[in-house]
Amino acid sequence: MTNVTLQKVVKRYGAVEVVHGVDLEVKAGEFVVLVGPSGCGKSTILRMIAGLEEVSGGRISIGDRVVNRVAPKDRDVAMVFQNYALYPHLSVEQNIGFGLKLRGYNKDDRHKLVQDAADILGLTDYLDRRPADLSGGQRQRVAMGRAIVRDPSVFLFDEPLSNLDAKLRNKMRAEIKRLHSRLGTTSVYVTHDQVEAMTLADRIAILRDGEIEQVGTPIEIFTNPVNAFVAGFMGSPPMNLIPGHLAGTAKAPAIVLDEETSIALPALKEDSFAAQIGAQLGLRPEIIQLVAAGDTEAPLAYIDVDLVEPLGMESLVHARLCGHEIVIKAPGVVSFDTNARAGITFAPQDCHLFDGDKGARLDFEATS
Amino acid sequence: MSSAEHLKRHTVTEFDLPPLTVGQRFVESIKRNWQIYLLLAPMVIYFLVFAYRPMLGLVIAFKDFSLFKGIWGSPWVGLEHFHTLFDDPYFWRAVKNTVIVSGFSLIFAFPAPIILALMFNEIRHQGFKRVAQTIAYLPHFISIVIVAGIVVNFFAPSGIVNLILTKLGMAEPTYFLTKPEWFRTIFIGSNIWKEAGFESIIYLAAITGVSPSLYESAKVDGATRFQMMYLITLPCILPTILIMLIIRIGNLLEVSFEYVILLYQPATYETADVITTWIYRQGLQNSNYDVATAAGVFNAVVAFVLVITANQLSKRLSKTSLW
Repeated sequence: MTNVTLQKVVKRYGAVEVVHGVDLEVKAGEFVVLVGPSGCGKSTILRMIAGLEEVSGGRISIGDRVVNRVAPKDRDVAMVFQNYALYPHLSVEQNIGFGLKLRGYNKDDRHKLVQDAADILGLTDYLDRRPADLSGGQRQRVAMGRAIVRDPSVFLFDEPLSNLDAKLRNKMRAEIKRLHSRLGTTSVYVTHDQVEAMTLADRIAILRDGEIEQVGTPIEIFTNPVNAFVAGFMGSPPMNLIPGHLAGTAKAPAIVLDEETSIALPALKEDSFAAQIGAQLGLRPEIIQLVAAGDTEAPLAYIDVDLVEPLGMESLVHARLCGHEIVIKAPGVVSFDTNARAGITFAPQDCHLFDGDKGARLDFEATS
Repeated sequence: MSSAEHLKRHTVTEFDLPPLTVGQRFVESIKRNWQIYLLLAPMVIYFLVFAYRPMLGLVIAFKDFSLFKGIWGSPWVGLEHFHTLFDDPYFWRAVKNTVIVSGFSLIFAFPAPIILALMFNEIRHQGFKRVAQTIAYLPHFISIVIVAGIVVNFFAPSGIVNLILTKLGMAEPTYFLTKPEWFRTIFIGSNIWKEAGFESIIYLAAITGVSPSLYESAKVDGATRFQMMYLITLPCILPTILIMLIIRIGNLLEVSFEYVILLYQPATYETADVITTWIYRQGLQNSNYDVATAAGVFNAVVAFVLVITANQLSKRLSKTSLW
């Protein structure tokens, strides 16, 4: 197993810099997911690791070897492409064995290795078929087969599930996870789907505009986002961010959302607090509770309900809090009249606070 | 549920509308897509007027045609003109020449634009690529008469070819265009020069359609550029190559007649006279319209059989076909 290291990696297209000095260490056997919105540079980074894009600055190492000037074929990596990149004129067996053929494996060895890969992926019945005769999921598996048959040091996945429908995507996601547990190969996986990132990754690197915003385990990123961007990107539905300003003192702060709504917060670290500075209150949809008419608990704030999306086991309530759109994930089925006013509450220690200007996280004092 | 069971269960109900006749469907289709039919109309009219209506004139092949009696007034003679045709050794010489010229064209001229397109595709410098392509396309736009003039000039005893050969040590200049053994080489070679560049456009377009990720994937798998060319590009454009081959086979007997006329002379008839030039001499120079038409019918029937056979073979071997 091999590690992959990116040190101050830069990518420029002419005068335009799209990746700005990225540092990332993928440990041997680790599954790291690069996630971010379209155009953030995640695929470019993956392609630089594969050798399909030249590195404009910095250094990429695979194992102990700096690979900036090493041809893709000599990097010992295998890549799964978004559109699978299957050769339409070759059978499944020939597609999987293509790389082996180019590397001079004889027919018998090739056949055996292809059979092994096909066994792992459940493709043995389809070896004679052409890609056009396969379903999306089967094609995706062939693409995976082509990658695993070479037993490379590193797997690179470029949004491999994005062309599949939701049901198949869930199934293939589990298969990829199982495959990684079985093979333990170092993997770098690019996606814009944060659910994929959360479920597959040992660690996630969140990118924005060619820079890494945060690297951490899925739980770290979910529970401790370093800024409002990460907070707003991860989670489904994403975290609600409501702008306001801080009041009170660092020991007893509050966020003022409008003249009528001020919410008391846990004590903030001294360096995080400055009265009257702009701040954003971060509320995950799951932590907000609706206060029913007969409840003894006093609401912390009031919302105006726009619409309710019933999902069966839960409902998504779209509403406005102090003029800002928020989403609440409520258990069971709830119903409201249009434009109904409802009270909400949440545990203040479960909320997040970010700087109103740059979005940096404002830390609460650690509770003992 | 099988489709048979499905059909069995479907019974006509009072809610079903009465089925449309073929005529009603056609009228509906025209009403719905009249803009498309309007666009189609000029080509349909063109083919009716200039391709299908003149086909009526093919009956001349079965008549003792007289200009004064007209097509329909001339008496029927059955297959007499075909007998005349098949008994004429010069006709068979023309058939043989046509097959040989077409065969060599298929072997040498057909792959030329494919190779050229593959080469263009490998040029990395965009500016050089554009210049090279433009230079290759240009000869196509030169009139065939000018091309023939250039060829006659180049291969004349005082032309550049003889000049070079004499400089290289050849004793006497050769008048290539009077030597039957040189005609096919010059004819096919100059045709390749004229058309290969332009014909490469269609293959370049096909190459553009090959997904770049196939090359990237092959690069990661360890393919060299040459391997990518013959393992990816060539198989991916094979359907286009086959379609072009079918069309080419359909036109196998249609050797560029005006170009032959411009280049050949009685001294080279032995290798240069093809069916179309034979028809031209019989029909227009000797006024044997009926025999010339019979040769035309023969030509068309053979071409028809060839194109059907090529299409069927292609369909069977590669699942690519014109229809």
